[in-house]
Amino acid sequence: MLPHLDRKLLRDLRRLKGQAAAVSVVMACGLAMLIMARSLIHSLESTRAEYYQTNHFAEVFDALKRAPNYLGDTIRNIPGVATVQTDLSVPVTLDLPGITEPASGLVRSLPDFGEPELNRLFLRSGRWLPPGSRGEMLVSEAFAKANHLSPGNTLTALLNGRRQTFRISGLVLSPEYIFESRPGAALPDNRTFGIFWLPYKEVATAWDLYGAFNHVALTLAPGANEQPVIAELDRLLRPYGGFGAFGRKDHPSHIRVTDEIRVLTILSIGFPAVFLSVAAFMTNAVLTRLLSLQREQIAILKAFGFTNRQIVVHYLKFAFVMVAAGVLLGLLGGILLGHQLVVMYELFFRFPDLYFRLDPVAVAIALTVGLAAVTLGVLGSVRKAAQLPPAEAMRPEPPANFRPALIERIGITRLLSHSFRIAVRNLERRPMQAFFTVAGLALATGLLILPNTFKAGIREVLEFQWDVVQRQDVNLGLVEPSSARIANELAQLPGVTSMEPVRSAAVRIHFQGRSRQIGLRSLLPGGQHSRAVDAAGREIVPPEHGVIVSAKLAQVLGAKVGDTLIMESLEGRRRVAHVPLVATAEDFTGIAAYMDLHAINHFLGEGDVITGASIGLDMSRRAEFLAALKEIPRVSTVAIKETMRQSFRETTAKSMDLIQSIYLTFAIIVAFGVIYNNARISLAERARELATLRVIGMTRREVGAILVVELVILALLAVPLGLLLGTGLTAAIVSTVNTETIRLPLVFTTYTYSFAVVTVGIASTLSAFFVLRKLNQLDLIAALKAPE
Amino acid sequence: MNHAATPNQPADAAAASPVFHVRGLTKVYGEGTAEVRALAGVDLDLHAGEFIVLLGPSGSGKTTLLNQLGGLDIPTSGEIRYRDTDLTHANEEQLTRYRRDTVGFIFQFYNLIPSLTARENVGLITEIAQDPLSPEVALEMVGLTPRMDHFPAQLSGGEQQRVAIARAIAKRPAVLLCDEPTGALDVRTGIVVLEAIERVNRELGALTVVITHNAVMADMADRVIHFSDGRVLQETRNAVRAAPATLRW
Repeated sequence: MLPHLDRKLLRDLRRLKGQAAAVSVVMACGLAMLIMARSLIHSLESTRAEYYQTNHFAEVFDALKRAPNYLGDTIRNIPGVATVQTDLSVPVTLDLPGITEPASGLVRSLPDFGEPELNRLFLRSGRWLPPGSRGEMLVSEAFAKANHLSPGNTLTALLNGRRQTFRISGLVLSPEYIFESRPGAALPDNRTFGIFWLPYKEVATAWDLYGAFNHVALTLAPGANEQPVIAELDRLLRPYGGFGAFGRKDHPSHIRVTDEIRVLTILSIGFPAVFLSVAAFMTNAVLTRLLSLQREQIAILKAFGFTNRQIVVHYLKFAFVMVAAGVLLGLLGGILLGHQLVVMYELFFRFPDLYFRLDPVAVAIALTVGLAAVTLGVLGSVRKAAQLPPAEAMRPEPPANFRPALIERIGITRLLSHSFRIAVRNLERRPMQAFFTVAGLALATGLLILPNTFKAGIREVLEFQWDVVQRQDVNLGLVEPSSARIANELAQLPGVTSMEPVRSAAVRIHFQGRSRQIGLRSLLPGGQHSRAVDAAGREIVPPEHGVIVSAKLAQVLGAKVGDTLIMESLEGRRRVAHVPLVATAEDFTGIAAYMDLHAINHFLGEGDVITGASIGLDMSRRAEFLAALKEIPRVSTVAIKETMRQSFRETTAKSMDLIQSIYLTFAIIVAFGVIYNNARISLAERARELATLRVIGMTRREVGAILVVELVILALLAVPLGLLLGTGLTAAIVSTVNTETIRLPLVFTTYTYSFAVVTVGIASTLSAFFVLRKLNQLDLIAALKAPE
Repeated sequence: MNHAATPNQPADAAAASPVFHVRGLTKVYGEGTAEVRALAGVDLDLHAGEFIVLLGPSGSGKTTLLNQLGGLDIPTSGEIRYRDTDLTHANEEQLTRYRRDTVGFIFQFYNLIPSLTARENVGLITEIAQDPLSPEVALEMVGLTPRMDHFPAQLSGGEQQRVAIARAIAKRPAVLLCDEPTGALDVRTGIVVLEAIERVNRELGALTVVITHNAVMADMADRVIHFSDGRVLQETRNAVRAAPATLRW
C-alpha cells in the first residue's frame, strides 16, 4: 500500500498537473536533444567503425599519375605498412538514356579476380561482376537511385573518349564514398555525379594503363605511426606523379562524417544545458509556490513528529516525478527525432545499414543531469521550508513587502497607470522568476535564429558561387590537358554565347612548415566567367605574377598578403616556384588557389594548354548543345549550373525543413511552457488579489490586463535578448561548421529576426490566453473569506 | 452635525421606494444529500441612507445575503431588485457594471493590493469610477492622510481596514456592504473603523449594511435584522443610533 505521504504527493501533483507538465515538457526538449545527439553520434561512430572494419577501409591514400604495378611491393615493404591495395581511378562521362544532360563521375577498378584487399564494396542489389566479365559495371547506389537505375539496365559511358555501353550488374556502396560528391562540392549531387566500378582489365585497356596503377590505399601495421609512412610514400611516388598521400582524417568522405559528429557534439552539450536551466528554475517556481501554500501542512507534519529529512524528501519527490516524466518524454522525443534525422542522413551519407542506435549512456546522462538540475533548483527552498519551526509555520506568511519599483524611483511615477505599477512591482519583487521567464523566452527566440540563418547562408553560398564567382552556364572538363586550340572547337558548338578557357592543376602549397594539397585554378584577365572576389565583394584582377588563395587557406597556412608561398606542382614536370600571395579570395566551398591563365602555364612549363572551358549558353539551345557535345570525345566532365543548383536546392530544402521544424517545435514548447508557468503561478499566488479587484468592480479584461502587462514587459525584455543570444549562438555553431570543405557565411536577415519575434509572440500570446481563461473561474466569494 | 441636512433621512426613507427590494429569496448550494439551504425565503426592503446591521450566528446565511446584494452571486429562486435593476437575472457583465458603479465593499481581511500604496489602492478605483472623490479626500475621511504613501505591509490592521473603507467610499457608492469589518481587529481599532463607516454613512448617505455576529454593534444601527437558518428572524429599529465610541465588547 502506498504510504499516506505519497498519496498526498499524487493528489497534490494532480492539482498541479498543468504546471508540472510544462516543466517536464521543457525539460524533455533539452533531454530529447541530448539523447538524440548522443545517440546519433553513437550510431554514426559505431556504424562507421563497423563498416570500416568489415570492408577493410584503408588508412592512408594517395593518387598518382601512373606507376608500374610492381611498385606495389615496394610500398608493401615500407616499415609500418600492413596491407596495400593499388587500383585505377579515372574520370568518366555518361550518356543516360532519355536524359540529354550528361552525368560524370569516377571509374574505379576492381581486381579481375577476387575481392580487393582494401576498400571492399558492399553489394546492395544485383550481383558482383563475374570473373573475367566484360561490358558490365557496378554502380554506386546513390547515383543509381537518383537516376532510377537498377541492375539489368544499361549505361553508355565515354571512357577515355570511347563510347561504350555497360550493363549494370549490381548496385554497391563503398567505405570510400560514404559521402559521395564531386570533389570539393559542398553537397552531394547524385543526379549528375556517380562512382562506377569496372574490372581492372577493362579500365586499364581503355586508358592505356595496363600494368600500372594511379591510386593506392594502405593500412598500417598495429602500432605503426602514420606520418613516417606518408612521408615515405610521398618520396616513393614522387617520380610517378604522386599527388601527396594523406591519412583518414583528411579523407574527404571521412571528414564529412566527422564534421557532422562535431556539430552533434555541440548540440548535445549547449542546448540541453540551456533547456535544463530553464526547467530547473520552473521547477523551483512551482515548488516554492507549493511550499508556501502548504506551510501549515508542513507545520502539522512536523508537529506530529515527521523529521525535516522526511519532509525534504517528500517535496523533492515532486521534483523527481517531473524529472521522471521529462526523461521519459525526452527519451521518446529523442528516439523520434533521431529516427527522422537518420532518414535525413541517408540523403548525405551512404552506409550499408545506418539505423538509429539508442545510446544507453545518453539516457543515464539525461537522468542524472535532469535530477541534478532540479535538485539544485529546489533543494534550497525545500530545506528552508522544512526547517521552519512548526509554531512559526502555523502562522500565515507575513504580507508581501513591496516598494516602489526602480523605474518609479527614478521619478516617472506619474506616467505609470496603476495596472502598470502592480505589474512592475511584482516583477521586481521576484527578480529570479522574472529572470528565468525572460531567459526561457529568450532561448525560444534565439532557437529560431539558427535554422533561418543556415538557410540564408546556404542561399548566399549558392548565389555567390553561381551568380558572382562562376557566372558561366556550363563547365567542361577535358580528359587530359590539351592544346588551347580545342577551345575554338568548343566555342563553335551550337548555342554557345561565350567561351573562356580554363587551366587547373593539382598543387601543394607550403608556407612555414604548413602545407595543403589543393586545386590551382586559372583566371582570365578581363574574363566574364570565373572570378575571384574579395571580402568586400570586389573582383580581384589576377596579376601577371603571384597567387590568390582562399581566405580560409591563408588562415590555415598562417600566411598573409605579401608573404611568399612555395607552390609545388603535382603534375607534369612537377615544378616548384616561390610566388607572392597577392590577395585572398572569399569562397565558401573547398580551398583553392587562383592564378592568371598564362602565369599557370608559365609555372607548369607545358606551353599553351587548357584542361577545360567555361561556357555561356543560350538555354533555348541547350539540348542541341549537349547533343553536339557528345560528339567531342575529349570532354570528360560536364557540369550544368542550373541542374546543380536545382539539385542543391532539393537536398538542402529537405534537410533544412526537418531541422527547422525541430527547432520550431522546441521554441514553441519553451515559449508556451515558460509563459504558461509564469502566468499560472501569478494567477495562483494572486487569486485573492485579482478576485478582490473583480469584486470591487473591475472587469475581467481589466484584471487580465494586469497579468498581461507583466507578461508583455517580460517579453519586451526577452525578445531583444533572445535575438542577441540567437545571433551569438548561431555564430558560434556556424564557426564550428566552418571547415576547409565548406564555410557558411553568417547572413542575418530581417526575415529571420521577424520570424523569431512573431513566432515567439504568437506562442506566448496563445499560452497567456490559455491561462487567462482561468480568470473566469476566479471564486469571487472566496476572496471575501479569510486568506488561505 | 445636523441630521436634517443629510439627504436621506431614515424616517422619510420607509415611505420612499426602497433601494433593495427582496422577495422570497432562496439560495441552495449543492444537490441531494449535500444540499445546503443558505437562504430559505428572505423578504426585505432596504432604504436609501439607512444603517443596517445584519446580526446572526455564523452559518445563518447573512454572508450569502450580502453576496446577493453585492452582485457577487445570483439566487436560486426569488427576486432581488436594486432600484430598477433586476439582479436576479443580470448577466456577468451587468453585475460587474453594477458593482463598479454602485457598491462599495469592505471585507474582514481588508483585501488590499499589496503592491500598491494606500493612495494607489484608492486611486485604482477612482480611475474607473464615474464621479469619484479624490483618493486624498477619501483617505482624509478615514483619517489616514499621514500614511497615504505606505504599502499595506507597512500599515497596522486597523489602518489597512481604513484604507479599504477609503477605497470603498471613493466612488461615492449608493450602497456600502461590510462583512465583519472589525472581525480581525481589537476593540480600540475596531471602534476607529466603525466610526469611519458611520461617518461615511452619515456624510455620503450611502445605504450601509454591516454583517456581524457581535450583538453590541446593533446599537449603532437604524435597523437591526436578526438572521437565523437562512431566514429573517426579527427586525428591530433603534430610535437613536449609538455613537461607535460608546460601544464596548
